[in-house]
Amino acid sequence: MLCQFCKKREATIHFTNVINNQVEKIHSCPLCAEERGFDYLKKSNFEKDHFLAGLMNLSGKPEKVTSAPDCCPNCGLTFHAFRQTGRLGCSNCYEVFNRQLLPLLRSVHGNTRHLGKVPRKLSPRVNRKRRVGELKNELKRAVKEENYERAAELRDEINALQNSSPPPEEE
Amino acid sequence: MSVIDELLSVPADWLRGDGEENEMVLSCRVRLARNLERKPFTHISGAEDLRDIQGEIKEAVAGTAAMGEALVIDMDDILETERMLLAERRLLSQEMVQKYQNRSLLVNRGEGVSVMVNEADHLRMQVLESGLSARDAFRIISALDDELDEHLGFAFSDRLGYLTACTTNVGTGLRVSAMVHLPGLVHNNDIRQVIDGLRHVKLTVRGSYGEGSEVMGNFFQISNSITLGHTEADTVEDMESHLKKVLEFEKKARESLLREARSLLEDKIWRSYGILKSARLVSPKEAMGLISAVRLGIGLGIVTDVALTDLNEILIMIQPMHLQRLHDRAMKPEERDRIRADFIRSKLNKQ
Repeated sequence: MLCQFCKKREATIHFTNVINNQVEKIHSCPLCAEERGFDYLKKSNFEKDHFLAGLMNLSGKPEKVTSAPDCCPNCGLTFHAFRQTGRLGCSNCYEVFNRQLLPLLRSVHGNTRHLGKVPRKLSPRVNRKRRVGELKNELKRAVKEENYERAAELRDEINALQNSSPPPEEE
Repeated sequence: MSVIDELLSVPADWLRGDGEENEMVLSCRVRLARNLERKPFTHISGAEDLRDIQGEIKEAVAGTAAMGEALVIDMDDILETERMLLAERRLLSQEMVQKYQNRSLLVNRGEGVSVMVNEADHLRMQVLESGLSARDAFRIISALDDELDEHLGFAFSDRLGYLTACTTNVGTGLRVSAMVHLPGLVHNNDIRQVIDGLRHVKLTVRGSYGEGSEVMGNFFQISNSITLGHTEADTVEDMESHLKKVLEFEKKARESLLREARSLLEDKIWRSYGILKSARLVSPKEAMGLISAVRLGIGLGIVTDVALTDLNEILIMIQPMHLQRLHDRAMKPEERDRIRADFIRSKLNKQ
């Protein structure tokens, strides 16, 4: 099936979207999904994310998104150097090498999401994000169970939480 | 008085051996790994960066309630033998004994709370307590962490938590470890099974001096290996509940030893005590084995005239750098064996 948005790439993301209580079936390729902000579905599941990346490479397209940046622009550490020493160069490396690190972290810790303590000044933001994450999981469940009424409620709650993030000084 | 003398003038609190289950659990240690935002991690930092970080952290620690009076030991100012001595006291890592430039140790009198500056991470905070006390230790270190974060601002990602140089610490940066004494399980050969069981629940078991160290005197170090995806409270509680299971097994092993081979066991304990009280030469390994037997004797109520705190002190003092400091000179291993035996005798025959 072709992606309903670009009508060029294969649709690999299929889900039911609920907007204003209207149910809509979506068939999208990963790129269009990302553009349209549907990518939370795949972001919330790393395995699938990685799987998709693999598929995209198989299709022979040059894949810019997944290829490793040569080095961290902040500290200059290369991923190769990390592999040799097992040590990252700075906190920014975690963002730069995110895609390569996630599978590694999963194999070391069985998990890729911090659930522990948060620095006091960041806790409102992180708590909101954690809540949104929970709601999104619930939303996925609701959609899977075709409980669209509940899904719509969740969707609104998520939007409300995300729009309530005004903090000018954060990040 | 040098800063090391000042540190040694007060006995380490955890050696008092007054914590819960203190015969089987010598100590609990919790540590948090933290890094400053936007600064390169230690291993790729140049001297100038390291000095900046060192200065910034020292100032912040001096301003905390928990460590306002801490001793400040700059590694550049002390000898290698003194760094080794601090490692024997569990205040310094082996890595820092070797890589010492622009690094510091900040430590409270009593050695309960300490911070290594510019180890693998910019900060490695540690709380060390006697007995089964991981919860208590975590409460103390978490308060220090909060206080320091206000001043320093730690590298943190919403998704991955506290960011550390090594991916094995990312998330909570928390390592909880307990030093346990398990002679019963070693005697009845169940120790293998217990270690496998602990590995299964993602706990790491090592010899008493950490990574790669040999098991001596039936002392084992048990610690968590996962730092991502669990809260600190869960990590601490899981650790304590698994430890309690291990202690139950150990108690059962001791009971069955007493039931089936009481005379043999008593003989081994009293002979060990006798050797410690009269030997003229004792190697580290032999000493640990004998101390373990006497410790077991105390645990079983067989030996009643030795205090655990004395045995704990012996464990620390018979290490090479501690013996050398006692006599203020370098010694060959054979000479240390003599000094070691002297020290143990003087400690055990004082009653």
